Amino acid sequence: MSEKRNQVSRRQFLNYTLTGVGGFMAAGMLAPMVRFAIDPVLKTSAQSDMVAVADLSEISDEPTRIDWTIDQVDGWYESEVPKSAWVYKDENDDIIALSPVCKHLGCFVNWQGDESHPDQFYCPCHDGRYYKSGVNVPNTPPEEPLDEFEVRIDGQTLYLGQTKPHREA
Amino acid sequence: MQWNNKDLEQYIDEKVIEYVDTLLIPLMPISLKNDKNLIKRAFQAELLSIFGNELERQFKGRMFLMPIYHYLSTADKQLEVTRLNEWVEDALTNPFKHVLFLTLDSDWKKVEAQLQGEVLWFPSMQSGDLQSDETKGMVKDQISQLTDLIKTYW
Ligand code: FES
Repeated sequence: MSEKRNQVSRRQFLNYTLTGVGGFMAAGMLAPMVRFAIDPVLKTSAQSDMVAVADLSEISDEPTRIDWTIDQVDGWYESEVPKSAWVYKDENDDIIALSPVCKHLGCFVNWQGDESHPDQFYCPCHDGRYYKSGVNVPNTPPEEPLDEFEVRIDGQTLYLGQTKPHREA
Repeated sequence: MQWNNKDLEQYIDEKVIEYVDTLLIPLMPISLKNDKNLIKRAFQAELLSIFGNELERQFKGRMFLMPIYHYLSTADKQLEVTRLNEWVEDALTNPFKHVLFLTLDSDWKKVEAQLQGEVLWFPSMQSGDLQSDETKGMVKDQISQLTDLIKTYW
């Protein structure tokens, strides 16, 4: 995160230095860094922390990656932060939204990321694996299940909120 | 991992350090000359930051993203190669296994053989609107290609 900030201030610095031409550099500095991955249509939030991220018709029993952004204020900066989740319907038709952040050291896990384990999430960094439920496969580096997002459904719209520890953690 | 307080506190744990074996150094040319390439350079600088940050986000537990290495676009590449190789040597003793340079500047392809790390060069748009859906889509595609490429080095 602070790399991003450093660059901003570096550019701001340049901006001040380069009176006249600096305006180009300042244009849209921060926002594009984090907003690019996201469909802007999906940004309205109905209630405080819950963000509309997808239409239910996009969700099947196969985990799908959903990306969105949230606004975050932390001390010095207000910024848009990219978020991602793996979302699917379980056997009971309940929506499960798992955090893609590996519980070992934080890389992104991918559904079916490893050919020899087609029904698992796979972490490319140190071969961590998780079952579809998000529970970690024993004897791989992660020692806890993936976090889950708070889920709310309103009509046909899926809202996701904060992450919390997995129900089986 | 990024070069900041919070990440480094996690990084210095001995159990963590051994897992972070890849150093990513973005290379960004700078020139203040007010010519037709000025805006392009600034645009590409923004893109390079986006790519660096996004790759780090996906590979946080294995990849260390260095602050961006800047050089004058007119600089003698031989001198830069010498300097960068010092960086690589320092990284390899401390104890990274892979050093990757991320850049949009095709000049690095010409001196790639002399560099002791891998050059991840990718072509990009020359300019554009980083907010447009089209640009975002292209950036997303390129990032997924880059993540696949990086995995082949592991
Ligand atoms: S970060 Fe996922 S296995 Fe290490």
